[in-house]
Amino acid sequence: MKKMIALGFEGSANKIGVGVVTLDGTILSNPRHTYITPPGQGFLPRETAQHHFQHILPLVKSALETAQITPKEIDCLCYTKGPGMGAPLQVAAIVVRVLSQLWKKPIVAVNHCIAHIEMGRVVTGADDPVVLYVSGGNTQVIAYSEGRYRIFGETIDIAVGNCLDRFARVLTLSNDPAPGYNIEQLAKKGEQFIDLPYVVKGMDVSFSGILSYIEATAVEKLKNNECTPADLCYSLQENVFAMLVEITERAMAHCDKKDVLIVGGVGCNERLQEMMRTMCSERGGRLFATDDRYCIDNGAMIAYTGLLAFANGTSTPLEESTFTQRFRTDDVEAVWRIKEESEKVNGLKNEST
Amino acid sequence: MAAAASDMADAQTQWEFSCDLEVDFESEESASIVYATLAVDKELQPDKVKRQMSVSNCKLSVHFEAVEARFLRASYSALLDALTLATKTIEEFGNGLEL
Repeated sequence: MKKMIALGFEGSANKIGVGVVTLDGTILSNPRHTYITPPGQGFLPRETAQHHFQHILPLVKSALETAQITPKEIDCLCYTKGPGMGAPLQVAAIVVRVLSQLWKKPIVAVNHCIAHIEMGRVVTGADDPVVLYVSGGNTQVIAYSEGRYRIFGETIDIAVGNCLDRFARVLTLSNDPAPGYNIEQLAKKGEQFIDLPYVVKGMDVSFSGILSYIEATAVEKLKNNECTPADLCYSLQENVFAMLVEITERAMAHCDKKDVLIVGGVGCNERLQEMMRTMCSERGGRLFATDDRYCIDNGAMIAYTGLLAFANGTSTPLEESTFTQRFRTDDVEAVWRIKEESEKVNGLKNEST
Repeated sequence: MAAAASDMADAQTQWEFSCDLEVDFESEESASIVYATLAVDKELQPDKVKRQMSVSNCKLSVHFEAVEARFLRASYSALLDALTLATKTIEEFGNGLEL
C-alpha cells in the first residue's frame, strides 16, 4: 500500500516552515525560515506576518523538491490553527486554503502544542511520558489521560522562553540563531549565583515577576560591577529551570508516569535537559529530548500530527479552516491516541488467550 | 422615548465610512478560489466594521462599512494583504490557471 503523505505549514510565531511527512513519521523535507530581529528587539505580529508572506511560497517549492513529490501524491494539507500570533497564523492558513482548492486536497487544522508532543514522541520513541512543553509562547506540563492531553501545570503569566528572550534584550544579546541559545552559551561562563524570586504556585509557575526583578537588579548590579552578564544568565537559567523540574516531578507523581519528554524551543537547552535527566534518573525514569531540528517550530510536526488525525477520519472543511490566537491543548480529542490505547489493550488480550 | 430616538439617530450615522474594492480576474475559477479563501476569516470587530463580498463575471467585489475611518483602513489593508497572498499562491501553483 502507498504510504500516506502530508504537507504541513507552521507559522504561529517567528518561524515559517513547510514539511513533508509520511504516516510512519519519516520526514521527507522540512525547510524553514526564521525572522530574526536586531539585538534588543522582539518580533511584532505585523512585521512577522510580512516575513512569512515573503518566504512561504519559496518554502513550499523547496519542500516539494527536496521530498521529490508532486502535489498529486499528497493526501492532506495541514496547518497550525493556533495558538499563536494572529497575523502570522493567517499567512499559512490562506496558502493552505488556496492550495486545497487548486489541488483538490482536504485540509486538517492542527493544534500547535499537540504537534510538538506528537513530533517529540515519534522522534524519541517515548510512549506515554509526562510532557514538558516550553517555548517562547507556552509553558505547560502535560500528560495524556482518557482521550486528551491534559494540562497538569502551566505558567500563569508569560512563557519561560519569553522570560529568557526578554532578558536577552536587556543584555542586548543577539537574536541569532535564538536569544535563548545565546543566554545558554553565556550562562556556561557564570560563576556566581544571584538569588532570584522562586515562583511556584501549586502546579503552576510564574515568570513575569522574576523578569521584572532581574531587569531592575541587572542594570544596578552590572553598573556597580557586582556581577557579570554571565552570572545573571546562569542564575536566571538555574532558577527558572528548577521551577520547571519541580512541577514536572509533581506531575509524574500525580499520574504515576516514569518518563519525561521535553518539547518546544526551550527544550533544546542542554542545561534544562541535564537537570531534568538527573530528576528522572532519581525516580527510575528516562528523559526524552530532541535537538533544535525538531524542538523548534517546524512544518513537519504539523504535517505529522495532521496526518495522524486524518488517518483516523478527521479533516477540516474549507469554511472552518480558521485560525485562533487562543487554542488550549486539552480542547483537542486525540483520536489517534485513543486508537493506540485500545490496540494496546487488544494486544494484551490476544496474548493472554 | 428620548433614549430610543437617540438610538435611532446613532444607527443612522453609525456606518458613515465606507469604501469598495473591485478586482478583476482572468477566470471565474481564480475569482471563486480567492473569494472562498477570504470568506473564511470574519471581521474581528463586527460592531465596528462590516464587510460584504461577492463574485460575478470573474470580478471579486468587496464592500466595507465602518464606524470610524481607522477601522475602515485596518480592515481594508488586512484584506488587501490576504488577497495579495492568495493571488500569488495561485500564480505560483495554479499550473497555468489564469488569474
